[in-house]
Amino acid sequence: MAQLFKPSANSYAKSSLIFSIAAPVVIGLGIAAMSRSPINTKVDVPKNQPVPFSHQHHAWELGIDCRYCHTSVEKSAYAGLPATEICMSCHSQIWTNSPLLEPIRQSYATGTPIKWTLVNKVPDFVFFNHSIHIARGINCNTCHGAVEQMNITFKGSSFMMSWCLQCHRAPQNYLYPETDVAGHVVTDRTPRQKVFDLYWKIQEDGLDKLNDREMQLATGEDPISTNSTDVAEGRKLVNQYGVKVQQLADCWVCHR
Amino acid sequence: MEDQTPNRLDMDLVRQKLADKRGPAYWRSLEEIAETPEFQGWLDDEFPHRRTLLEIDRRSLLKYMGASLALAGLAGCRGMELEELKVVPYVKQPEEMVPGKPLFYATAWTLGGVGLGLLVESHEGRPTKIEGNPDHPGSLGATTAQTQAAILSLYDPDRSAMVLNDGDGSTWDAFMDAVAAEFSNQKAVHGAGIRILTEVVVSPTLKAQLDGFLKVYPGARWHQYEPFARDNAFDGANLAFGQPVEAVYHLTKAKVIVSLDSDFLQDGLESVVLARQFAEGRRKLTAEDMNRLYVFESQLTCTGATSDHRWSMKPSSVHAVATALLQSVRSQGAVSPPKELSGADFNAVVQDLLAHRGQAVVIVGDQQPPEVHAIGHALNVALGAVGQTVTYHEPRAAHAVHTGRDLKSLVDDMNAGKVDVLVMLGGNPVFDAPVDYNFGEALKRVSRLRIRYGLYEDETTDACAAVDGGHSWHLPATHFLEQWSDTRGYDGTATVAQPLTAPLYDARSPHQLVAALAGDGAPGHDLMSDGYQIIADHWQSSGHISGDFDKGLAEVLHAGIVPNTTLAPRVVALKTFDAAPPSTTGFEVVLRPDPNLHDGRFNNNGWLMELPRPMTQLVWDNAAIISLKDAETLGVQRGDVVQVTVGKQTLAIPAFPQPGHPVGSVLIHTGFGRTKTGSVGMPTQHQSLMGFDLYAKTVGVDSYVLKTSGAAAYVTGATLTKTGQSETLVSTQIHHSMEGRDIVRAGTLAEYLRVPSLNPDKLANPPIVEQGDLDTGVPTETPEQPNIDMYPEEIWTTNLPQWGMTIDLNLCTGCNACITACQAENNIPVVGKTQVMKGREMQWLRIDRYYGGADPDNPSEVLVQPVACVQCEKAPCEPVCPVGATVHSHEGLNQMVYNRCVGTRYCSNNCPYKVRRFNFLDYSNLQFQFTEPATLINKIYKKDGVSLLKMVSNPDVTVRGRGVMEKCSYCVQRINDARIEAKKAGQEIQDGAILTACQQVCPTKTILFGNIADKKSEVFKSRSDERAYRLLEELNTRPRTSHLGKVRNVNPAITAQEGTA
Repeated sequence: MAQLFKPSANSYAKSSLIFSIAAPVVIGLGIAAMSRSPINTKVDVPKNQPVPFSHQHHAWELGIDCRYCHTSVEKSAYAGLPATEICMSCHSQIWTNSPLLEPIRQSYATGTPIKWTLVNKVPDFVFFNHSIHIARGINCNTCHGAVEQMNITFKGSSFMMSWCLQCHRAPQNYLYPETDVAGHVVTDRTPRQKVFDLYWKIQEDGLDKLNDREMQLATGEDPISTNSTDVAEGRKLVNQYGVKVQQLADCWVCHR
Repeated sequence: MEDQTPNRLDMDLVRQKLADKRGPAYWRSLEEIAETPEFQGWLDDEFPHRRTLLEIDRRSLLKYMGASLALAGLAGCRGMELEELKVVPYVKQPEEMVPGKPLFYATAWTLGGVGLGLLVESHEGRPTKIEGNPDHPGSLGATTAQTQAAILSLYDPDRSAMVLNDGDGSTWDAFMDAVAAEFSNQKAVHGAGIRILTEVVVSPTLKAQLDGFLKVYPGARWHQYEPFARDNAFDGANLAFGQPVEAVYHLTKAKVIVSLDSDFLQDGLESVVLARQFAEGRRKLTAEDMNRLYVFESQLTCTGATSDHRWSMKPSSVHAVATALLQSVRSQGAVSPPKELSGADFNAVVQDLLAHRGQAVVIVGDQQPPEVHAIGHALNVALGAVGQTVTYHEPRAAHAVHTGRDLKSLVDDMNAGKVDVLVMLGGNPVFDAPVDYNFGEALKRVSRLRIRYGLYEDETTDACAAVDGGHSWHLPATHFLEQWSDTRGYDGTATVAQPLTAPLYDARSPHQLVAALAGDGAPGHDLMSDGYQIIADHWQSSGHISGDFDKGLAEVLHAGIVPNTTLAPRVVALKTFDAAPPSTTGFEVVLRPDPNLHDGRFNNNGWLMELPRPMTQLVWDNAAIISLKDAETLGVQRGDVVQVTVGKQTLAIPAFPQPGHPVGSVLIHTGFGRTKTGSVGMPTQHQSLMGFDLYAKTVGVDSYVLKTSGAAAYVTGATLTKTGQSETLVSTQIHHSMEGRDIVRAGTLAEYLRVPSLNPDKLANPPIVEQGDLDTGVPTETPEQPNIDMYPEEIWTTNLPQWGMTIDLNLCTGCNACITACQAENNIPVVGKTQVMKGREMQWLRIDRYYGGADPDNPSEVLVQPVACVQCEKAPCEPVCPVGATVHSHEGLNQMVYNRCVGTRYCSNNCPYKVRRFNFLDYSNLQFQFTEPATLINKIYKKDGVSLLKMVSNPDVTVRGRGVMEKCSYCVQRINDARIEAKKAGQEIQDGAILTACQQVCPTKTILFGNIADKKSEVFKSRSDERAYRLLEELNTRPRTSHLGKVRNVNPAITAQEGTA
């Protein structure tokens, strides 16, 4: 009787067996890698905006406090975007004829708001609250990257739930005490004030006076620290601030 | 498809089964007793009509599973941000606005001649939730169900949006130009041909404006009409005192309250403060402190259910009871007891009244004729109640009239051809005027100008446009949240009502319209006259705001009340009057405004259409509510259509046999059967996912055909006949039965003093007196069995607040405000009649109603119990979720995580309380099919590109999609907000800082919420009360919500509790 299977069937059989084990692994790893890459997370990908607003110019070079524009960051869940009126508070007097600022002037004149492209977003089923994070001393750059160094704003972190949980499960790894220029611990400032003190420190004293954690924040690195002294300090601060670690990972704290 | 005909009930079997039961027995419905197959279906399966896997063959099953697998995972594409999203800030941000934090503004609402002070929550300039104003004496922080649902009417896409001229679109300027000529003609005859018809006007500014109009046009007339205005009370006061005084009750001082057919605990906006006062008298559970409520009523109402003693009788029989009571009180002893109750019982009531002179009060219901109102006043005088529990004042209405007769004089003028210009501000007279007036025909005689101003285009609009000759105009009205206005509360306290948003449509307030009409009407008159200025000018000239007016007005607007504006007291002297008993034959048809739709004005409000009515728990329909005996005599059961005939008028309407309803009387609610309304009142006929092809064009039956002018109270001489047809009436009463376990606890005061927990086992088996207690005489309660627990107690090792709630059944009246508040706060969708029929109603909170006793015709008691997710500490729903979508928080909440839920419904299956609600269809988006007659389900009605109905959603709460389970969350959005604010302030959360939506609106403060680990909190004290018990405690679920048993302050002298017909 003639052979049903050609000799090449041997190699097909072997390779398909190996392939069927290897392929899901490779595809799975590929998908995992892609979903964590900027293709999906859009981290470090600048977005087009109607006006090419530069945080580096305004926040770093001019030293404008974040809260001048993002007015509700200490009070409400939303940090807020500046109303056209806030832009015009300066730009009615400087760069008044710049073509780049034409949309702002148009908006102020006609009463039509500016439609900015959304850069930082969590899914709709996440109810994130800015004000409590600021109140606990979490610096803006922890989540948003080195915003004051961005010429065109891009997303600083992936905002994946696993990334949020890194801090929520172990806040002691992220809390650090505020130090003054000489390196002594500052005790008479609230955690909220500590957030914005950092930027004033950079403006007044320069980057070389920052300690390691603060430097990480200024350059947009993840300010986590797992060495034991830092963690011990962190734990002290957790107790001092009254952070209720037990409930930070409760679902309804964010997913109500 | 399920069988549409309800199972036939064997009433004899029901009666026999009830009679056989021993001990206190509570039953939810006749079907439960009869154990019909339909009911058994409900017991076996929460959703008896669903398909099961067993019906599908293997091939199809694999096909479906394969398809789901292929589509799975696409939701993960969210991160790819396939489109760029935009974020839009303000151009000039208002100073006080913080995005994300709501602002609250004080305003007020008027209904039925009473105003209610409100605080309205506004998110970024968009009002989303109505609360009561705690500083307003008529509200004290609470509202009614209709008030809660009024926010939905603001965003109703079916609202009238533009000016119509003879049915064609037009503008306000065109209107002013067109009427200018007519009004200047009228000026020449001093306005002799102008008539203005309004509803009952309470607004001081509108009164001043209309009076001003009448000065400009002295020949004109102003008429008022509402189908359920307090006309009988008006006539009754005139009969008794010779002047139309307003009675204001002060129930906190009352120890004995007699209700003569009055549903004062639920009906009308004044029920908020009356229920609160009544509840204050129920808090201290001793014989000296507790008040007692006797109710003589012609239908089962919330007040009857809350009462300590209730007798049901035909409405005409209340007269006999009232007369006998008056004679007895005047003679200091019971004389000529009426046949409606036993002599001994009557004597007991009289003695109770006499023993509490000055602390008793009699309240008469609106549907009783003027004679009974007059007798009620006489009783109050005889009991020394005047000045104590009831005070008499100037009328609250700006211009008190008998609206029925007022409308009659207008109709007479119309028929005589005297009316050239008819201006109708609000109301819907073509739909709800008495049939013998034939308003529609009279309208045809108004041949020159018919101006209709209203919130919706309705029957009156159409009738105006259909008249030959002259012109008709329809003008869109503003919703109360869009206009500057004012009103007076129950005790007269005035509120200047401010708008929460600019009008969404091209609408004007009634003040703006009247101001424009009262001007000389010359072309170019500015109809954009500032509504604010009109109100401000009036209050400036009224003199009530002293000092710097702008500052004073700002304070008044902030507080929501104008100080020192209560109703002026009147001195009253009782006249002698003739109160002949009414003659009555045949059936008596009582026409009452629907508890939800009122006289039909809320017909297009989905929340109110779907809210189960108190006691009957009917949704999406009205019915002829009759007694069980009458139903048996007629041979009809629930849903069988009966023909109700009165003289020449006849009506075919499905019957609803109701336990506790008197023989010989039919109750039909009005407001249904509209022929021109929005898509809720007249759902589309096309095939839709929600199955509206089930029934005809309009919801319910128009019962106004039976309302004649002579029968201001009720219609006599009716006959009922069975037609043999049948319709499906949907009531939520047999869903979620609890199979007779210890669910609701109630007892008399004596039983409470003996067994404070009101535990039925203990009541049946009195505790044994231990030897050591014979000295004190206090029996020792046998200790509870220790809790055998398999789960570790980790929850209690934290120092976090542990949330808990108590619901005091002793205070709950069953008014449904909490259910509607929850629906408004938590974005709960409306699902439609078919879905409710399948048991898929979505309200998280339900009010169960139980009857007690062995006689289904006359239940000895009616109990209400609000039930929502009780947040079990050992929740059976948690371990069974395959994806961990329901987990327990460290603060004791059972967390339903919507984004994790895949819809297996195992949690709902395991819930013993059946409080979980599943989105079987995409209800939240499908709601929009209520809004337009289009054939595309997903086409959403938009205004300026924004979906209107979506604006009512609370942005702090997720809107759930299809396939997601939801349930009561203890208003976690409010808890989270309070927790964050407290943390920012560096404080602990104060007791009372968090009010759940249901707690906040409850008039009687039935619901308490807070931290049960804090021994000083209100909820801890309430939970430690002896009456507190947990539902189904024996299952060891350890619920965080406790209920407190109801205590009835029964009169020990009343033994034969009989309500005869």
